Amino acid sequence: MSGVNAGLLRLTRSTLASAALVAIVAALAMAYTSGGGASRDSLIAEMLSNFILVLGMQVFIGNTGVLSFGHMAFAQIAAYATAVVGIPLAAKAKALPDIPFGLDSVHYGPLGATVFAIVVTIIIGGIFGIAVSRASGLAPTMITLAALFVVEQLVKNWKELTRGAGGLSGIPRLEGNGWLWVGAFVALVVAHLFQETRIGRFAIATREDELAAPALGIRLFSARWAAWVVSMGLIALGGSLRAQSLGSVNPKQFTLDSGILILVMLVVGGMRCVSGAVLGTVLITAGNELFRQLGDPQRLDIERFPDLFLGGTMLLVMLLRPGGLLGDRDLAGWLRRRTYRRPPPTGEEPRAGSNTLVAAEIEVHFGGFVALDGAGVTVRPGEVVGLIGPNGAGKTTLFNVITGIVHEQGGRVTLGDRELTDAKPVDIARAGLARTFQNLRLFKNLSVRENVTLTELVAARHRSHRVRPDADTLLADAGLTEWADRQAGTLDYGNQRRLELARAAALAPDFLLLDEPTSGMSDQESQAMVESVRSVATRVGAGVLVIDHDLGFITRISDHIVVLNEGRILAEGTPAAVRANPLVAEAYLGSSA
Amino acid sequence: MTKLIQTIVDGLGVGSTYALLALGISLIFGVMHLVNFAHGELITVGAYASYFFFLHGGSWWWMPFVIIGSAVLASVATELVAFRWVRNASPFTLLLTSFALERLSHALWQIFVSPKQRAFPKPAWVFNQFKVAGVSFEVMDVVTIAVTAATLALTAVVFKRTLFGISVRGAAEDFDAARLMGVRANRVISGAFAFAGLLAGVAACLILMRSPAAEPSMGSDWLLKAVIAAVIGGLGSFTGAVVGGLVLGLLETLTRAYLPELAVGWDKFSTAVVFVLIAVFFVIRPDGVFKVSHAERV
Repeated sequence: MSGVNAGLLRLTRSTLASAALVAIVAALAMAYTSGGGASRDSLIAEMLSNFILVLGMQVFIGNTGVLSFGHMAFAQIAAYATAVVGIPLAAKAKALPDIPFGLDSVHYGPLGATVFAIVVTIIIGGIFGIAVSRASGLAPTMITLAALFVVEQLVKNWKELTRGAGGLSGIPRLEGNGWLWVGAFVALVVAHLFQETRIGRFAIATREDELAAPALGIRLFSARWAAWVVSMGLIALGGSLRAQSLGSVNPKQFTLDSGILILVMLVVGGMRCVSGAVLGTVLITAGNELFRQLGDPQRLDIERFPDLFLGGTMLLVMLLRPGGLLGDRDLAGWLRRRTYRRPPPTGEEPRAGSNTLVAAEIEVHFGGFVALDGAGVTVRPGEVVGLIGPNGAGKTTLFNVITGIVHEQGGRVTLGDRELTDAKPVDIARAGLARTFQNLRLFKNLSVRENVTLTELVAARHRSHRVRPDADTLLADAGLTEWADRQAGTLDYGNQRRLELARAAALAPDFLLLDEPTSGMSDQESQAMVESVRSVATRVGAGVLVIDHDLGFITRISDHIVVLNEGRILAEGTPAAVRANPLVAEAYLGSSA
Repeated sequence: MTKLIQTIVDGLGVGSTYALLALGISLIFGVMHLVNFAHGELITVGAYASYFFFLHGGSWWWMPFVIIGSAVLASVATELVAFRWVRNASPFTLLLTSFALERLSHALWQIFVSPKQRAFPKPAWVFNQFKVAGVSFEVMDVVTIAVTAATLALTAVVFKRTLFGISVRGAAEDFDAARLMGVRANRVISGAFAFAGLLAGVAACLILMRSPAAEPSMGSDWLLKAVIAAVIGGLGSFTGAVVGGLVLGLLETLTRAYLPELAVGWDKFSTAVVFVLIAVFFVIRPDGVFKVSHAERV
């Protein structure tokens, strides 16, 4: 029942934010068009179809942070799909006498043609998106670029279907700009809603940190692909409405340059939030028009000044405000914070898990260098185990083997009766191991609370058998209550460390794996960290495996200590026993303490 | 057989130009994680420089110096006015910054010179033909391949033997560590831009000898191909950039020459076929042929 309510709340928020934004843009448009002239109306039409295209790009590029040059290819597919079913049969028989797929007898009205275009584009784009979402680094960008060229050449040369470079005309034109406004509103609601959905939140997490997201149980592929498919739907809506607003379609409307114009609109306003996309569209459309009027239509100036404006604006924004003019100041985000209600506490008592984490006889070689030579570690439910050793002893490697980032050549990792050897980081996280990172990998542009609630979304699906305290409880345990609405990247160092701890705990894991949680901290701070780790771990009933250089910290926090040296276990036992061990003193304490 | 040899020579000619450009892109990516979309504009700068040089009575003898000199200056200038200020920004921001420069460059040539093409004479010998074992070659084919080979050899020496080259490679591997070793960031980065400018200048010479004309957006097509070549090879890998460039050049010419024989009526789709192959390659090997592992700690 609460799920339905939450869904309704999200829909209301998205609709409200969208309506407010449309109202602002409409007021500006009315002020502009009341000056008269049909050319002003057509500028508004152009702006509105750009608006939908920008939102389409925002859903993918803005949320996943993966740059795409290929979106215009899919807008083009949609525009042509609209044309081949929208042009009346007689005109079509004349323009495209050899049209394939039996399209010669198909004719849809405006709504039908739009839906047809969206379906076709989502199917073609969706298949293509599998390739885009699977790849990492710059490869997706290159794949989308390839798509642009492939579609361009197909459209220019598959003359039976497209009539080639000349394009197609005679698409029944929409009366006025009314439908474009409706389209823009729909696109806004979709873009807003997507950011509120589970998968949309995950897409944002992958944008913020490609490595931390999987380590918290978020699958890169599905988050990206979902964003891609939704984005295809909006792009198709934009492409189709543009074709119907102009009454014609040709390849020149969908070049790399036109795609870049849309991209500039997105990044100038601020690609991470929907409000930014809106602001960018309005500003760039207005600026472009202004600079176009500066030129002399007799000469070719008409083309050059807008380029100057685009390049100049983009350069200034990148140098001065790389997140775009609005950055993360989103109207919907503001509404979300205002309407945030802390969920009622579940009142469940924390209980420790029943699984034991065992890494046994792990062997890892990097080339000729033996990093781990049969070392291992066992952590029982609720236990705190410290891992120490001199530099190069293999602590971090062991950690990375357990969390699936480094693959072992020998040995086994198990959690209870679950085999984790060779499992992927995302599955290891879902199985119940949550880690922090030595070099801090927070979702920096999100608020402190959002960092934690994001992980809770994963926990709700995959860790539902465990006690899952709410975000504010965990933040309180980590001592972060007063910063809950701050942007995570603006916290000081110690608080960022504590936030990573709270974020990992929100996964309701069987074990927390902490990689040097006190590195760079003062004695006082590291003393406080002991308390934070203890209270957070107890709250979720998790055991802890912790690496640290700070021997004081390790002995205070651990029930059991494992000392590694040269890839093997040198000694293990209670803190007192380890301290008393002469071998340890020689290998580790002798040199550094 | 004759056709195959000629096609391969053509492919190597185009491919080596891609390779020179891709090498510059890879080099800059190595030192600052920037995919420089303004790199192609260095060709445009070289082209306009030679156009004005001819206008004032210049000749082809001095041309390489003018082209390479202007490309080096322009490359260093882009770093000074733009990239230096976003050096620690995300790769996304860096890329968009270079994109903005590319747009600005187009606009400025259009406004201050002309949107139309400006042509100037080509060296007389460029398209002279000669025959070896019954296969005819153009002089330019040989020049292109020879110049590229010499430039690549020079590059190899610079990056293996000189202090500058070693600093750049060190910086590419781990900038922070390199800085601790006494490598000066500004100097290394400026140097890398200068060297990338030199490579682009050589590429521009080869391009302009074949088609001596300046046009505001002439750099963009070359740039896209070069970026693709660099990513195919594995961004940051020098060998990869060269291999990527040559592979792309060969792939293009071979497809254009042999696709019509393999599939009748498909000749008009040759570019589409090439790009489909490229897309498939990136799905299989997203990190390129030579994967470069950066010092990214977890």
